[in-house]
Amino acid sequence: MKAIVIEDNPGGVTQSDIVVGIPSYNEAPSISVPTQQADKGLSKYYGERSAVIINCDNHSPDNTRQAFMQTATKTPKIYLSTEEGTKGKGNNLRNLFGKAVELSAKAVIVVDADLRSITPLWIRNLGEPLFDEYHFVSPLYVRHKYDGMITNNVAYPLTRALYGRRVRQPIGGDYGFSGELARIYAEEDAWDDSVGEFGIDIWMTTTALRNRMAVIQSFMGRPKIHKPKDLVAVVDDLFPDVVITIFELMCRYESFWKEVKWSRPTAVFGFGMGELEVPPPVEADINVLSTKFGEGLSQHWDLYKAVLDSQNINKVEEVASLPSECFEFPTGLWAKVLYDFAIAYKTREVPRDYLVAGLAALYYGKTLSFVLETQAMNTQQVEEFIEDQCVQFEKTKSYLLERWFTG
Amino acid sequence: MAKILIVDDEEGIRMLYAMELQDEGYEVITLPDGKDLMEVVETQEPDCIVLDIKMREYNGLDLLQQIRRIHDDLPVILNSAYSSFKVDLKAVAADYYVVKSSDLGELKEKLKVALETRIPQK
Repeated sequence: MKAIVIEDNPGGVTQSDIVVGIPSYNEAPSISVPTQQADKGLSKYYGERSAVIINCDNHSPDNTRQAFMQTATKTPKIYLSTEEGTKGKGNNLRNLFGKAVELSAKAVIVVDADLRSITPLWIRNLGEPLFDEYHFVSPLYVRHKYDGMITNNVAYPLTRALYGRRVRQPIGGDYGFSGELARIYAEEDAWDDSVGEFGIDIWMTTTALRNRMAVIQSFMGRPKIHKPKDLVAVVDDLFPDVVITIFELMCRYESFWKEVKWSRPTAVFGFGMGELEVPPPVEADINVLSTKFGEGLSQHWDLYKAVLDSQNINKVEEVASLPSECFEFPTGLWAKVLYDFAIAYKTREVPRDYLVAGLAALYYGKTLSFVLETQAMNTQQVEEFIEDQCVQFEKTKSYLLERWFTG
Repeated sequence: MAKILIVDDEEGIRMLYAMELQDEGYEVITLPDGKDLMEVVETQEPDCIVLDIKMREYNGLDLLQQIRRIHDDLPVILNSAYSSFKVDLKAVAADYYVVKSSDLGELKEKLKVALETRIPQK
């Protein structure tokens, strides 16, 4: 565990019913927004309870610490940081887990530091179920159809097929969790470098499901609007950590997910917030996706021959030969590709970085297919499209079970 | 034998579903609205509920929230003549949403899946 080398606790807070955590790295221009909104939410909805806002940071050189501590709030604030040179959202949150346990928190709410659309209501909706019977609150918000591609094509369908619960935003980045779950997170030994980086979100969701904690999804009322990232940057930054964490947890929790069949919804919280806002558009450059897919195929073909089942590599070859005007990467094939790669990860015959780089190239193909297939769809139609994809992942799970457990 | 509770304000639908689902080997109980729903759920302990949405004095989406508050693990299939309620966020809490049709194939398939669903419990 990364030690906290910096702690600034000017109010001398030693106990707090509610902790709002804001993980950051170089977020000086944006951190005041979630800090102020969290403060308003805590005052408005939890005035009777003790609370603290914690910025858990990676020793940001851009004065994030000063920007946070100088934001005027009624709620006391604490600044925590990893040692200089240690980065990663997961490492920040691990410091938060430990601090939440130390403060005897009953409820912990985490919001991203680059959030622009957060309102005080988010604090209520992520926190309130934790004072009922729930231990993990996952957000439900409207996102543009090209925002959250890793969620839509990898994290959501895999988590749902493996662990059996329909948590729509398993890597959403904004959560609520109970003090009991904070303790489980703090003591959990399933941790590696990917979890310390962007694998943390899927790790938290999976750990909650694996520990059979009561899960609820909560409507945020507004779309998630945050610092824009293009699709390629997201693959470079997030994809390896998310995929490695999913595969690693598959190895660790195989006795759990092999017993799961189909999936179930979760309870939901937070209705009656009026008309939903339309999220800002996210650009998807078809040419870039197509080029990345094509280049990746040439570069990693030997890997595919080693990793993919013979029928699947034939199908991938067939997909690659499709003309651009009717390009499609079928979801059933995509599910089998992911399952083949998970099995290759389990056997450790291929270095994991090389394995994930090869999968990323195929992911570009699936993303291209998703963009083309959903071009004319509205948000609701895309949700139904994603629902169909998830059902195909669930139906294809028998393929995974057979290959994973019988070789 | 799995026990299915049908909640629908149309008598013809209740009779048709009861007949078809009994032929499939299910035990079927029916209710014309949500008035006694929670009591019936407690006393009869159905394995799955097929719930209409637009009923004269009751809204199936609100009834679903009542069910979920107490029975998180009870499968509920929303069954409506309208597909438009799919966009209502409350429908997220349902296991499945099936638009009414004279062909009960999809409903029977979703019922089978809902009853087969397995997640390890504590």
